[in-house]
Amino acid sequence: MGRGKPLESTVQSCLDGMGISLLSEWDVLAFVYRHGASLASSDQIAHLIGYESTVVKAALDRLESEKLIERSRPSEEVRFYRIFASSDAGRQRRLQQIVSLAETRVGRLLLAKRLKPDGSNRDEKNNRIS
Amino acid sequence: MSKDGLIKTGITGLDDILLGGIPRTNVVLLQGVTGSGKTLMGLEVIYHGIVQYNEPGIIVVFETNPNKLVRDAAAFGWNLEELQEQKKLQIVFTTPQVFRHELRSTDSLLLETANEIGAQRIFVDGIGLLNRDLGGNAPERAGFREMLQQLFESLDRENLTAIMSLEVGSAPNSMATVEMTDFLADTVIQLGRNRKGRRIQRSLEVLKSRGQDYETGEHTMHITEGQGVQIFRRVQAPSRAGSKQPTSSTMRSVIGVDAVDTLIGGGIFDGSTTMVVGISGVGKTVLGTQILREGVLKQKTKGLLVSLDEHPAQIIRNAQTLGLNLEEQVADGTIQILFESPQELDVDAHYARIIKLIEEHDIKRMVIDGMTSYSTAIGELAVYRDFVHAIVAYSKQRLMTSFFNYENPEFLGVSSYMPDFPLSSIVDNLILMSLVEINNSLHRCISVVKSRGSKHSFDTREFVIGQGGISLVPLERNLLPPVPLQAYSSLLSRAPTRFSGSKRINGAAAVQDKE
Repeated sequence: MGRGKPLESTVQSCLDGMGISLLSEWDVLAFVYRHGASLASSDQIAHLIGYESTVVKAALDRLESEKLIERSRPSEEVRFYRIFASSDAGRQRRLQQIVSLAETRVGRLLLAKRLKPDGSNRDEKNNRIS
Repeated sequence: MSKDGLIKTGITGLDDILLGGIPRTNVVLLQGVTGSGKTLMGLEVIYHGIVQYNEPGIIVVFETNPNKLVRDAAAFGWNLEELQEQKKLQIVFTTPQVFRHELRSTDSLLLETANEIGAQRIFVDGIGLLNRDLGGNAPERAGFREMLQQLFESLDRENLTAIMSLEVGSAPNSMATVEMTDFLADTVIQLGRNRKGRRIQRSLEVLKSRGQDYETGEHTMHITEGQGVQIFRRVQAPSRAGSKQPTSSTMRSVIGVDAVDTLIGGGIFDGSTTMVVGISGVGKTVLGTQILREGVLKQKTKGLLVSLDEHPAQIIRNAQTLGLNLEEQVADGTIQILFESPQELDVDAHYARIIKLIEEHDIKRMVIDGMTSYSTAIGELAVYRDFVHAIVAYSKQRLMTSFFNYENPEFLGVSSYMPDFPLSSIVDNLILMSLVEINNSLHRCISVVKSRGSKHSFDTREFVIGQGGISLVPLERNLLPPVPLQAYSSLLSRAPTRFSGSKRINGAAAVQDKE
């Protein structure tokens, strides 16, 4: 496919720019993005997206340190999770771009190919992401 | 309750049903089957609260994608994303477990967020899910009840007016959940989605509402693209006008033809109702058109023509062929034409549209062209009767002069004014337009058989339809020339009578005698 290479490089540059390297991080980011303001515990997010809790906790930490998401103070185990409202226009654009890409099957397959799988998710990754 | 103590839903028609709105901090339960419009209605109450009444709000969804809510709202022109950016709205995705925990928590993040944005309304979509993993036996049901009480208490503490949706009939123990929730909620609104023939009809009924009166019964609900939910008060609901019915002693001409006015006793009283009965083609619509034009041109009153049979363009064209220029009055708004197809006619919505037109344009004369079409379109005799009673009562309350055209199915002779449903007793005047067979010709005749408060004539007069509409044939010209179907009369009445020579047979002989 003619568009294959440019698309691959776009995906890679977006992922690099955002500091995402694991498939689990992408899945958690996509979950937070799609749900706006999520009031949940990391265990519940793990339950909803089919990962082990430890994996989701690690992903949430990573996404927060990369300033991709923000979370409220905890109320016991529960927090509000939101996409970080960054003033960095380039970063916001990359996020939008990759979310749009992930809405297509081709984009999702490319993401799955580019991102490192995490061994602890319960389902077969390629099946789940498609 | 004072109006200040009520919050307006902003939903077209619903605040009227609730006589102004919902008492502030009431817990409102929207219950109904799948697809009955619960989510949309809850969403709309929050949206209008923000946009129209400057009352920020929160929407809580369980395990459904909030993006779809945002997308669906956009289809109605409601930009929820923008409201979230302005911090007037917060859509919160959570799970039933977290929500239950939050309500018990002293440092609830949800209530903290509500406080931060100054929320006054909250919509929780799918409250039945809170019961889902509690189980169905008695102690667990008691747990659900306790949890609901905690929920309602904490919302009340925060001065939030809460709207909760509850799906009926899907979950196990659904009825127990509904009964319990109904009991605890302050206001319960039942949304219906019922099959009527082959179509779906939506309905809304307020089952209870603490601290206020409301319009009882099942009202009609529409979901209109680009607009949202609309509620139409059921036509049977008695008027709340309260004041005594006005009456008038002013008499006005019907069509500006003295002879017709004489027949009816000098004209028609303002605020009277008149039924015009006659077979198809006899001239009822023409008379209706003239009635409205007379009102506009000579009496300076605005008119409304309601038809289920003819499209406005056709009505205007037909009037034009008789030299009755309706186009001008329609263009300048002095005559309104409301056409609705009888196919799937929704009587509550139709009635509401008539009332809206009357009030918006200060209509004083109304012609409803085709009561028979209503009878067939509505189907249910009781609803048809209620519609007619409602429109007659409304018309009299506003002192409007109204005419109802009724198509009598009997071709020659009338054994009953309105055979499918007798309405003659509820109207003030009854005009009969008939076809009369004389020799082998059909002639149009008009009679006034009832006119309350007037000394009317019982004469039957022949009329013709020509340029300018209906005009009476002068009495001296009411004599007939010899007819081409030479020797027979009463052919269509199935009692042909042969006329021969100078022998006196029926009226024909008398004519020949005179000649």
